[in-house]
Amino acid sequence: MPSAAVLKVLVVDDQNSVRQMTRMTLEQIGIRHIHEAENGKAAMDTASLQPLDLIISDFNMPEMDGLALLRAVRGHPAARKVPFILLTGRGDRELVVKAAQAGANNYLIKPFNADILRQKIEQVMGKLS
Amino acid sequence: MASLEQLKLTFFDECSEALQQIEAGLTDIREGAGGEDTINAVFRSVHSVKGGAGIFGFDGLVSFAHVFETVLDAMRSGKLAATPDVVDVLLPANDVLTDLVGMSRSGEAIPPDLGSESRAALEHLLHGSGAEGDAGDAAAAPADFEGLDFMPVRIDDFDNGDDGAEASYRIVFRPKPELLQKANEPLYIVRELRKLGELDLVAECDRLPPLAELEHDRPYIGWTGTLKTSAKREQIDEVFEFVVDDCELTIEKLGTTSDAPTDPSPVKEIAETAAPPLQPAMPAAGHPTEAEARNGAANAGAARAAAAAPPRATAAKAAPVGATTTRVELEKIDRVVNMVGELVIAQAMLGQVVHTLPEDVSGRLTQVLDEVVHHTRELKDSVMSMRAQAVNAVFQRMPRLVRELATKTAKKVRLEMAGENTEVDRSIIERLGDPLTHIIRNSIDHGIEAPADRAAIGKPEEGTIRLSAEHRGGRIVIEIKDDGAGINSERVLKKAKDRGLVNADATLSDDEINNLIFLPGFSTAEKVSDISGRGVGMDVVRRNIQDVGGRISLKSDRGRGMTIQLALPLTLAVMDGMVIRVGVETYVMPMSAIVECLRPPASDIHNLIGTPGMLKLRGNLVPLVQLCELLDISSTATASDERVVIITDAGEGARFGILVDELCGHQQVVVKSIEESYGSVPGIAGATILGNGRVAFILDVEKLSDIASSRNGQAELAVTRIASRG
Repeated sequence: MPSAAVLKVLVVDDQNSVRQMTRMTLEQIGIRHIHEAENGKAAMDTASLQPLDLIISDFNMPEMDGLALLRAVRGHPAARKVPFILLTGRGDRELVVKAAQAGANNYLIKPFNADILRQKIEQVMGKLS
Repeated sequence: MASLEQLKLTFFDECSEALQQIEAGLTDIREGAGGEDTINAVFRSVHSVKGGAGIFGFDGLVSFAHVFETVLDAMRSGKLAATPDVVDVLLPANDVLTDLVGMSRSGEAIPPDLGSESRAALEHLLHGSGAEGDAGDAAAAPADFEGLDFMPVRIDDFDNGDDGAEASYRIVFRPKPELLQKANEPLYIVRELRKLGELDLVAECDRLPPLAELEHDRPYIGWTGTLKTSAKREQIDEVFEFVVDDCELTIEKLGTTSDAPTDPSPVKEIAETAAPPLQPAMPAAGHPTEAEARNGAANAGAARAAAAAPPRATAAKAAPVGATTTRVELEKIDRVVNMVGELVIAQAMLGQVVHTLPEDVSGRLTQVLDEVVHHTRELKDSVMSMRAQAVNAVFQRMPRLVRELATKTAKKVRLEMAGENTEVDRSIIERLGDPLTHIIRNSIDHGIEAPADRAAIGKPEEGTIRLSAEHRGGRIVIEIKDDGAGINSERVLKKAKDRGLVNADATLSDDEINNLIFLPGFSTAEKVSDISGRGVGMDVVRRNIQDVGGRISLKSDRGRGMTIQLALPLTLAVMDGMVIRVGVETYVMPMSAIVECLRPPASDIHNLIGTPGMLKLRGNLVPLVQLCELLDISSTATASDERVVIITDAGEGARFGILVDELCGHQQVVVKSIEESYGSVPGIAGATILGNGRVAFILDVEKLSDIASSRNGQAELAVTRIASRG
């Protein structure tokens, strides 16, 4: 049973407001170690520098998009096993399918609240304490 | 800490930026300048608006942005060509998006039909082009993907790479009326169940009554089927935890299926019976968590390249290399600006103290003080440049305006722009949009002739409007120049006389006549047209410009075109001023209004009856204004040749002299508004605190000349006044 307080989560989104909102929601469920990156490239930099427990990433970003990030993560020796939750909008169904095929562990639809976020994380990580 | 409200503000700031980029990008595409990158950038901007709107729960915005995005996606993937016709649908769509963002920001209710026309046009593009798109279903789209069974991959499963022991369960689930009465939703339960594994349910519709007998609060449908899952029995039970007493429920284990072939993809489409529309999930709860020592939304992790108004050429692309930016709340910068203001005052005070010291002590101090003055000035400039924004923020709206107006008036107009990157204070940028729009409207409506008329007089059919900005002498000068017909001075004069704006027998120079159009109540249009005749005249434009301490002037060359020039201060907070004394009072006059100062011999001042005098200056007569009389204070200067005359430039070529007792020196002053506390005082632009701690008023030179002329109504000044309206 992973403890929320020790989980290290990376939030990737090119929009500051979305990152902050996600951060706030993560904090509501007790997650305290939150890294942020504004695109896939920055996320890979973070992911290769430190151990992460979870990546929550948007899809459409400049530089390196979510799908490219997911593939890069899955191909990275150290980050290969980090669970990946895709952040998506309504109607992006095709992307969800693509992401699932590329190895995403779950998806999260905007808008989401703390309950949904917890549920999605727990589906991937097991129950949080 | 970041509260939800702050986050929303951040989001709306991002939106403003995105909207600007969309506009700029679309304009580039329209002009054939945008490549694939531009379309991508526009797409991303719309997507960002949609994404953010989604997370903050602005559903109307999401729904419209979605259609918009779908069209752009079709363009991106080459299914839809980026023709001008298409862009002409997208530009109004961006207006709708702008409106929606505005309404979401102000919390206004969004009328359901808002943008329906634009939306229909967008959808038409999609269908017309054959580009597939599910644009229409966005509004009705549920907060989860119907029928898409994305099986979350458990991390421990993922770890060892196999799916673990799976078991199949037979599930029978028939809700009872009580279930609905307790506000439970069977579909949610089905969906929860599906999250545990591979679910294959069949709806039992046999209990459905004929439509007439259907009661909305009774559950008629039940489900039977199998669930293939690695989840434990307890987890399945948990799904039904709250409804177990209100339904008929069977969960039976069928045996492990670990030998069953597993689908390589965790995604599987499954059929589901009619799904009622579902409430989208609530936006993240409005309880800001109590924060650790972390910065607010504005700067936490805000390394995002956020050039507030990137240069036009790069607007739709990534910020130029090396120009890393950070997002700072305007309020924070304003606080720094204020502090710099206080510093300027404190420094002036220090200067006064130093002057009273004996020479041997003050010598060294003065040296150091000079250094401080120098640094303060640099500090001020740096802070001001933080608030500065390229005029492009306003300019970029103009190409479209010109295009639309040209279409409407059936004229051919080309817009040239120069100096878009010239920077000026944000507060000025904000107030530049309306005047510029109005001037350009006027130009196209009244200035530029119809193509046939132009051809007849040997001009190219296409008219040209040139919009330029540059820094000149501590001001920003914006010029709008067209090659149209110019001002018809006879008509203007006649109109002005008809309306009693000038005396019927007045003789005025061409320049004076041209400046008449700035008078309130003047409209040159023969008939009120759809475009510029909306009751807002050039007088309003002039007032807008004057309100920010700017000047507007006009030059017209009959038949060749006309030029309107706006000269604006770079900032409104700190300015260079000349401290003057009249009697016992001290005032500050903006340096920008001063042309020269002199102490003329009494013989050069000619007294005309009923006037304070005329000064003979290098062969020209310049009307004089007695500041002491205007402000009703007594002068201490005994002889007129002790007085100083400040020649001011209230407008194009219209000069007049202000008589004061003494010039006390030039210094930077911090402008403090008095309007908030005292309302608008004619002749006074604001107040400042001097080095000696006293408050001094800053004079509004232009208004002073108005007051002077209205007091004595003398012909010369009236002319000056009219001319000075330029």
